[in-house]
Formats: sequence, C-alpha cells, structure tokens
Amino acid sequence: MKRRDYLAGLGLAGVGGLAGCAGLVETRSVAAAPPVLEDRPDAVYFPTHVEGMGMAGSAESGDGEYAFGLMYSYPHRFWNVNGGAVSRTDIEDGDDVHLMATVWDPETRTVLPEAGLSLEIARGGELVSQEVIYPMLSQPMGFHYGANFGLGDDGSYTVTVSVGGVSTRRTGSFVDRFDEPASADVAFDYSRSTRDGLRFENTPDRAGSAAAVEPMEMMAPNAVAPAETDLPGDVLGTGSTGDAVLVVGRLEAPPEGVDGEGPYLYVSARTPYNRMVVPAMAVEGTLARDDGAVFEGEFVRTLDPDLGYHYGAALGGTAVESGDSLTLRVPTPPQVARHEGYETAFLEMPPVEVTL
Amino acid sequence: MDRKGSEEPSARRRDVLRAAVAVGGAAGLSACLGYTGGAAVETGPEDLSTLPARQHAWNDRVRNDEYGNTELPSHQTLLYLDLRDGPDADARSTVEAALRTLDRAYVRSHEGLLHSIAYSPAYFDRHYDESLPEDLGLPEPRRLSPFEEPEFDTQDALLHLASDSPDVLLRAEAALSGERSTLNGVDVGAALTDAVEVADRRTGFVGAGIPAAKQSGLEGVPADGPVPEASPLFMGFKAGFAANQASEDYVTLDGGPFAGGTTKHVANIRQRLADWYGEQSFDERVMEMFSPAHAERGLVEGVGENLGADSGIDEFVGDIEAHAREFGRVGHAQKAARANRDAEGNVRLLRRHFESADDNVASLHFPSLQRDIADFEAVREAMNGSDVPAMTPAVRQRVNNGILEYIFVKHRGNWLVPPRSLRALPTPTGGTPGL
Repeated sequence: MKRRDYLAGLGLAGVGGLAGCAGLVETRSVAAAPPVLEDRPDAVYFPTHVEGMGMAGSAESGDGEYAFGLMYSYPHRFWNVNGGAVSRTDIEDGDDVHLMATVWDPETRTVLPEAGLSLEIARGGELVSQEVIYPMLSQPMGFHYGANFGLGDDGSYTVTVSVGGVSTRRTGSFVDRFDEPASADVAFDYSRSTRDGLRFENTPDRAGSAAAVEPMEMMAPNAVAPAETDLPGDVLGTGSTGDAVLVVGRLEAPPEGVDGEGPYLYVSARTPYNRMVVPAMAVEGTLARDDGAVFEGEFVRTLDPDLGYHYGAALGGTAVESGDSLTLRVPTPPQVARHEGYETAFLEMPPVEVTL
Repeated sequence: MDRKGSEEPSARRRDVLRAAVAVGGAAGLSACLGYTGGAAVETGPEDLSTLPARQHAWNDRVRNDEYGNTELPSHQTLLYLDLRDGPDADARSTVEAALRTLDRAYVRSHEGLLHSIAYSPAYFDRHYDESLPEDLGLPEPRRLSPFEEPEFDTQDALLHLASDSPDVLLRAEAALSGERSTLNGVDVGAALTDAVEVADRRTGFVGAGIPAAKQSGLEGVPADGPVPEASPLFMGFKAGFAANQASEDYVTLDGGPFAGGTTKHVANIRQRLADWYGEQSFDERVMEMFSPAHAERGLVEGVGENLGADSGIDEFVGDIEAHAREFGRVGHAQKAARANRDAEGNVRLLRRHFESADDNVASLHFPSLQRDIADFEAVREAMNGSDVPAMTPAVRQRVNNGILEYIFVKHRGNWLVPPRSLRALPTPTGGTPGL
C-alpha cells in the first residue's frame, strides 16, 4: 500500500508523467478493478478507483481542420446510454487497453462533441480492429470517445483516427467549419509493461462520496465549459437537474448561424465539481411570467467558439424580464457512455425552474 | 478432438471451393478441380443473337426462391481493368472476341456463367475527345456520406463474373488471361489481357450457408460464429426482397446512344460485426436493419424467410421521427426506402450485393443498377439519416442510426454497363469503330 500512497500523493500527474514508474507498481490483472459500489447515489460520485492514462500520440488532419489526441489506459468497464436505458459494458477477455480519442479545433482548442469518431488499428499492414467508438464522459477527462480494444503483442500499431463531418448546429466562426470527414494516423507503441506502469489507485475512503476526480492535465484540451464569468452576454441564473448544472444566459442577438430573432437564450450544461461539458441531451424550455408562457420551444444543441457547446433558443423578439421563470425539461438525457462515477448521474432529470 | 477431421466432407469441400475463387489463378483452379472433377457444364449458344441485348439481364437466368426472390450466383468475381493502350480497333476486337468466348463456352445462367462489362466515367474522359451525352447520369464517384473517405475506383473497366460453380469462374478467368486455349470445349478467341491489365481483383459469395461456413477466423466477424446457417449474408438477414427491388426494365436506359444499358455503382464496404452481434439482441438487430416496428410487431423470424417477397418496409417509411423518439433507433431499410421509390411508388434501385472474404476481412461488394447514378446517391443520402440526430440525440451520426455503426465504405466506383452490342470499348457517343 505504501507505493500506492506514494503515487496518490503525487496527485494526477500529466499524461505519461508516470510512464517511467513502471517498476514501482506491482503488475496487476486488469480484472482487479474493485466491484461497483452497491449503494450508489443518483448523482455524481467519487469512483472506487482512479486510473492514469498514457498519451499514444496526437496528429492533425491534412487540411488542418481537426486535431486528434489518442490516449490509452487499462480496459474499463463503462455504461452505455441509449435513450433512458443504461447498460453496463464489462471488460472482456482479450481487452488490453481502453483507447480514448478527442478531436478539437486547432484554432480555438474547442473540443468537438457529437462528431462521430472511428478508429482503425493496424499492425504491419494487417487489420487488427476497426470500430465506431462511443462518446463518453469521464471525471478526469470529461467528454471523449472511447472503447476497449484487444491488441495482443507489444509492438508498433498504427491507429487511424477518423472523424465524420459534425452534424450539430454550428455558429459564429464555426458556421462553415467541420463539414468534411478527415483522418489522421497516430503511431502507438504499445507495451503491456508500460501500460501496467500507469497509475492505478483504489480509493475506498472516498468512493461513493459526493465528489469527482480532479480533471487531468493532458496534452489534449479538456472539454471544460466556460466559467460563468467567461460566458458571453448576461448570465441570468443557474439550475440543477440530475446533478447537471445548467447555467442560463442571454445574448442580445443570436450568434451567426441561428435562424430567428434575438434575444438568444442559452443553456451551458456542465458537470458539478469539475465543469465538464454535458453534451447530447434534448432540452426544451418554457419562459413564463405572470400572464403565462411567453416562449416555448427546443433549445438546440449548438457548437459556438465563444459559448462552447451549449443548448440555445432564439426567442424571436420576446424580451427576457427580470423575474421571469424558465422551466427546462430534458426529454432525453445525455446520450454519452459513462465512466464510473457518472453512470448514475444525468439520467433522471426532472424539469427544473430557473428564476431569471 | 481434431475438428478438421470430424468436419462434414461437404463442408470441407465448400471451403476449398470458396478458397479457390479467392486465390484464383492456376493454383486456385487446380485446388478446385480436385474437388469438382470439372463436372460438365452446358455450353452457350453458337448463335449469339439469341442472347439478351442487355448485359445486365440476369434475373431470368438465375434461381428464384420459393417466394420469387432472385438468388444471385453463389460465387462472383470483379475484375477491375485498365487498357494497355488506347481503345483502338485491335483492342476492341480483342475485348469482343474474349467476351464472345465466354458467351459460347458457358450457358448464360447461374449454372454456367453470367458476366457483364462496364466502363468508368474516367475511361470516357481519358481516352476520347468527345463527351458522354449530357443527360447520361454517370458522374465520377464521390463521397456519399459525411463520415466516409473511400478510395475511388477509376480504372477503365469492370468485368463482373458470376456463377454457382467456382471452377467455371476460375476457368473463365484463365481463358481471359490467356492461360487456356479452350474453354469448356470452345476455342478461346482472344485473351482479354492482351488489351487490358487486371488492376484489381475482388471476389465474393452469397447464399444461405456460405457466410456461416466462411465466418470462422474472418476479421470482422466475432469468433463465436454468430452468422446463422440460413443467412445469405454476414449480417444475418435476407436482403433484396423482390418487392423492394427495381425491375431490370426499370433500371434500363430507355434512350440515347446507350439505350438498353444501365448505370452501375459498386461500393466495397468493410463489415465490423462484433457489436452488431455482441452488443445487440435479435430484436435490436431487427430494429436497426428493418425498422423498430418490425421488432415490436415481431415481423421478422430468423433470417427473414417469413417475410416472403416483401420486407414490408414501405409501411414504416413515414414513421422515422416517431420511431427515433420512441425507440431511440431507426432502421436501415426504413431510411433508405425514403428515397428508393419514384412518384408512382416504383423501386428505383436494383441491388445485387454479395459478401467477400478478400484479405481475410469480411466485406460487402455492393453493385447497384439504376437509370442514373443520382438515384443511387439519393438513396445513400437517405440511408445516412443525417436528419435523424436532430430529432433526438439518442440517434447519433452512426450509432442507433440503422447499420452505419458496423459498415465502413472502402471503395466507390461508377460505371456504365452498355448494351451487349456496345460492350467492347465504346466511344462516348455509342460507337465501336473498327468492330
């Protein structure tokens, strides 16, 4: 336990920071992850263990439109979300790594959620695997795309990361961006012993508590939502549902790329504790005052360079007045797979009323 | 226990025959003949005018199942060809003589040999000053989804061979490449390879039992062998139901210099079926292949044999948004059918897809015939379902969106299948000078 205490004392080191520590950590079987807690809160909770990750590499697409980062860790159990249903994906025999990819705009370093991602893995020209990988939320990393893969022997693998054109509404300088698919190759020198040198810390004392693992510093940008003070326009109020924090703000005019007249009401959804973007949910809202509803409609999933990923509605000339009530409904919870500690949060999301 | 030793002789024989087509050449043929003994195959007609004017007239010459669905020949080969020199009179004579050899050597049926040769827009562009007719819908191939990056097939020509008999395919290929002087007792008029070189060779198979027999050890299909014995395709369902296919008449060009011909799109699509079979229940596969209503109402049993000659998809084409919201999934057939009907309700595409184990990777060769390549492109766009994620985040670009999660387009090519009279290196204006 001393070694683990030592590692824990280091906090979450940068990517690859512990790669040289392989000799310090006893080799362990990937099946050794502690059991999932029996009594989990319907909220974000601190997981039973924390795993480090290594950087496989990064690359830009040929046209410079996209940057990709590829990270790896121990195979993970994770939870898929389809509609309101949650299904656990366990580690399977033959899984060697959990591969995590992020894609971002090299200009603004905005992480792109809701861009379909796939990985093709080859070794010596032979196909090893190819999968569409799933959008995921993890506490140290936030939004990323991931899946478990079997690799087999140590060696040099070529991982081709492919992104589809982004279908989410884009605004501002993103209006004409991210339409085309692109790919880039990342060389991944895999060895089991290096993987086994990644941090693995059981966290029995904190497991289940209302907290989250700190965001990890990475060479790739994290999908962090802007701080309230950094959001453009006027921040009018904050609500919470299913443990997601919904920051509501207003722009006088909608960003370029939105049909309709202002004002523009936006919802910036983020995780508690570490402010990670909560993407891919359906959001509807009703703006009301004394004499009833003055606006009712969808808050459209939108990617904007200033607001980040958010949910927005053009009110078509209806002014927002102080004291108005905005009721936000989430008919479909965030359609992203969850790493441990997020799988019970952001699911049951009852309507929330925010006084503006 | 030695599995190989306990295998049924017939299964072992089938394996060898398929492997022989995949290997091709003399080695493939000798392996093949060891198993078939070169059983007698009916020759073709002496009078070639008795053959259909359309190269793509295959439907009357293959088996139908008991419901009237076309069953394509079990084994197929696609030869992608580049001209060695320009399309002059000599080359034209060589191509025509080589194809006439095939016509005469084997009865034009699934028991003998079906074939058709087609030409790319690049062929017409590279070799001629004149242009194709403006109203001929034969664009260069292009990317047809927001998430694919295929290689484009721009070879000059594509020769498609199909037969139930692997050794017929291999012998025909040997004749085309000048390795035989007779073919099924018929003198080989010319070696096709005197005029063209084979730039790529792709093979495949289709029909109940074959994908199941082929799945073991194949990259892309889970190791536990989930493909049902009864399935003609790797994904476990029948496809190409008669009511959901265009007729040959419908896809035939009815005017212009290539009247009697058709256009052909051929994609090659890698299949990754670990999650298809591993993550999904049968009902979920039915939802994603057909429509959520097909699963909810229990319309599909097994591989879909009970559907008869009609997948019944037209009933659910209008329900996509409702299904997306209720089930968080939409069906592949449901989406594609949106664009695959004309104003009168006729089906626009005649799909003739078959499976492949080339390079030991599961893939699908997807030839589709239509009057205009734009028809195919519209159906593919509908199949992309790019409009569905805006209806609900439960349906993503490729996840829960039909079968897009499991298929990766590697190649696309567009081709003109001229009528048989113009099959030998036609000009863009429909001539074969020198013949």
